[in-house]
Amino acid sequence: MSETSYAVLGIFDTPDALMQAIPKVRASKLGTVEAYTPYPIHGIDEALGLRRSPLGGMVLVMGVLGALTAFGFQYWISAIDYPIVTGGKAANSWEAFIPIMFEVMVLFATFTAGLGMLLLLNKLPFFGHPVLSSKAITGITRDRYVLALEAESEAFDSAAAAQALQGAGAVEIEVLPAPDRSPFLTSDFILRTAGGIFTACLVAGLVMFLTIKWFPLLAPMKYMQDQPRLNAQKGSTFFKDGHGMQMPVAGTVARGYLPTATGTQEAAATLVNPLPRTKEVFAVGRKAFANRCEVCHGALGNGMGSLTAAYGGKPANLQAQQFRDYPDGKIYWAIVNGKNAMPSQAADLTEAQRWSVVHYVRALQRAQNAKDEDLKVVAP
Amino acid sequence: MRADAAHLPGDIPEGLIEPSLTVGKVTPGSLDDQVLAFPETRPPKQWYIGLAITLTALFIGLGFIGYTFVTGIGVWGNNSPVFWAFDIINFVFWVGIGHAGTLISAILFLFRKRWRNAIARFAEAMTIFAVMCAVIFPLIHVGRPWVAFWLFPYPNQRALWTNFRSPLLWDVFAVNTYFSVSLMFWYLGLIPDIASMRDRTTSKLRKTIYTVLALGWRGAASHWQHYEKAYLLLAGLATGLVLSVHSVVSFDFATSVVPGWHMTIFPPYFVAGAIFAGFSMVVIVLVVVRETMQLKNLITMRHLDVMNKVILAMSCIMGYSYMMEGFTAWYSMNEYLHHGFMNIITGTYGWAGWLTISCNIFIPQILWFKKARASYFWMIFVAIGVTIGMWFERFVIIVISLHQDYLPSAWRIYKPTMTDFGILLGTFGLFFTLVLIFARVLPVIATTEVKAILPDAQPSHHGDDAHV
Repeated sequence: MSETSYAVLGIFDTPDALMQAIPKVRASKLGTVEAYTPYPIHGIDEALGLRRSPLGGMVLVMGVLGALTAFGFQYWISAIDYPIVTGGKAANSWEAFIPIMFEVMVLFATFTAGLGMLLLLNKLPFFGHPVLSSKAITGITRDRYVLALEAESEAFDSAAAAQALQGAGAVEIEVLPAPDRSPFLTSDFILRTAGGIFTACLVAGLVMFLTIKWFPLLAPMKYMQDQPRLNAQKGSTFFKDGHGMQMPVAGTVARGYLPTATGTQEAAATLVNPLPRTKEVFAVGRKAFANRCEVCHGALGNGMGSLTAAYGGKPANLQAQQFRDYPDGKIYWAIVNGKNAMPSQAADLTEAQRWSVVHYVRALQRAQNAKDEDLKVVAP
Repeated sequence: MRADAAHLPGDIPEGLIEPSLTVGKVTPGSLDDQVLAFPETRPPKQWYIGLAITLTALFIGLGFIGYTFVTGIGVWGNNSPVFWAFDIINFVFWVGIGHAGTLISAILFLFRKRWRNAIARFAEAMTIFAVMCAVIFPLIHVGRPWVAFWLFPYPNQRALWTNFRSPLLWDVFAVNTYFSVSLMFWYLGLIPDIASMRDRTTSKLRKTIYTVLALGWRGAASHWQHYEKAYLLLAGLATGLVLSVHSVVSFDFATSVVPGWHMTIFPPYFVAGAIFAGFSMVVIVLVVVRETMQLKNLITMRHLDVMNKVILAMSCIMGYSYMMEGFTAWYSMNEYLHHGFMNIITGTYGWAGWLTISCNIFIPQILWFKKARASYFWMIFVAIGVTIGMWFERFVIIVISLHQDYLPSAWRIYKPTMTDFGILLGTFGLFFTLVLIFARVLPVIATTEVKAILPDAQPSHHGDDAHV
């Protein structure tokens, strides 16, 4: 038995034998006493003098931290960064945050309990422990109970340890050699690790690229982009002639462009002005008249527009008795169809504007030919 | 394992001594040879036949899911006003099935019900598989599952955050937490068992896989101490979690204003229903496992008897809940609630209402008889009845409430399509495929936990465990 041994294992057949051996072996003070069992044995913690597991406190702290994290996160999002009123609740009403606070608390606590136990307290995964390569391990995970005296220093006496274990009732003894302590950071190891990291980065990058750039272009993920629609400067794939804009169906009427009387002026005489005589209508008529009519017919409608002299025409004097006797419909017909040299105004004036102009022309005529009773109305 | 170390006085009355949890002579070694041998042997012919059937169902489901993706969810029967139908029914159904596993592994652990040790592993595995089946439905219901990660609140270029007042978002957190915690709980329990398999296998490939999965577990007493503490804490956390998850699922309904959904009884009622449905599924699977894998000495008739008692108790709670629903409708003097409740018993879907009540309330009453609890025929009959009944209960809650709500002009009769049924079949295929694979590659019984409760497993000078 060499002095480089790591530990001596004493194998027992029953948990009773193991428990009875523990105080005796501990009393020998030859090294650290550790037990290896297939399942937890009641009372072994106290027998081995193990300290209470600190896991409960860790889980409590992390659980509270989880709940606070969830609260802060939700509060910041809902009340500060992105306050959207939902269900008429105040943005900072915290009651709705409770379910997620609870879930995140459980999540934090669970991962602390599970991973904290494995990684922090038990220091797993660890595949190099000498016990794992011992002959006794097949019994440890099956139905044998092992007590180990583990070396604390160079002065560990494995022969004495074996004797102590045998004396305590071990049916079998196994001496574990010290693990191979060859240097850890060899160039080969560094090279392999670097190669591994490089390969992992390469694979991760490729996967990322494919996920972001390539995957969304596959069917059915791209259906959102492939909808039948007209893109700017592109032919239509939807209509056979390739035009995105189609000619309207024959007889289509655009809003506000109802076709007007196209018969004779005499026939139009029966049309009645549909608009009431209100300030607003007169205002519309006045504006339209100023834009479209005044240049020829003049501001007073008397045919003395600024253009008259320039082009030598003779626009109608709307103040003439002939036009004062015209029914509304005939003036309207002239606006729509034009008359003599006057072009049609149908394209420039809407239905409502034309009738407003008719009202306004009537007002001009009345203003230039005022009667006595008109004055009376104004008098206080 | 981790059973109580109660210091009871020496002479315990006969009636208080717990009967043995196993039949015949079982030693730690024989237990390993019996349970851990499955992954090392070739499965029997029946296993392959079963796998072929479940895989067929799975691929039918995958086909219909693919059809849904390329065509759109218009191929389902849902339409205004029944926007939620098979997808949410199946989601709630599968999440509920999962709850039995957590109840057995966590709540019964806290109650020191040591009979749970033999069936906890299988029930936990079923939890994980059931939750996997469940999450499929909300995922495909969003229409574009490849952007389902938008459900999570993460900083994004769209400068949008999720709405934390929506129960649907609570669901995202609840179900994800539930899956993570169940997986962690299950894996922690598996580690010592996988270590046993690592140390007994002769195949090099298996040894490598088990070595990695066991994380170098070596059964040190100092490790067991932390391990037991972690397991206890996880059980406590999972207990709170399992109650919260189905409560949150019920909030999806209860926080809305649909008549028949807006009820305070929903959270406890949903949790009870979940445990009810889950236990039935566990009974079905356990009976099959017990018979086909020759585990009669470990999963005893006593286990099934206790399971059936739980089902009976849950059935009574469900009966109370149904009556409360009727009472609430009557006592509220709210004509919409009246109408909703009358729809359940006399409406177009009245047959579904009565099927639910019969399967969940009337049929399980047979379990009052000890003979029925000891008979495969009756327990399977009840368990299948409850599974059907609980599925239809969600149908009743969702479809009947939605198809006639406040606006009569929007009323519509809902009819599921082939695709709806195909996807449901697919999830059953997925569930049983995973169950079959699990039964052959991992220890179906938590051997470490059962070893700890065998006779003479604990030192005799410490507590009364020698009596057991």
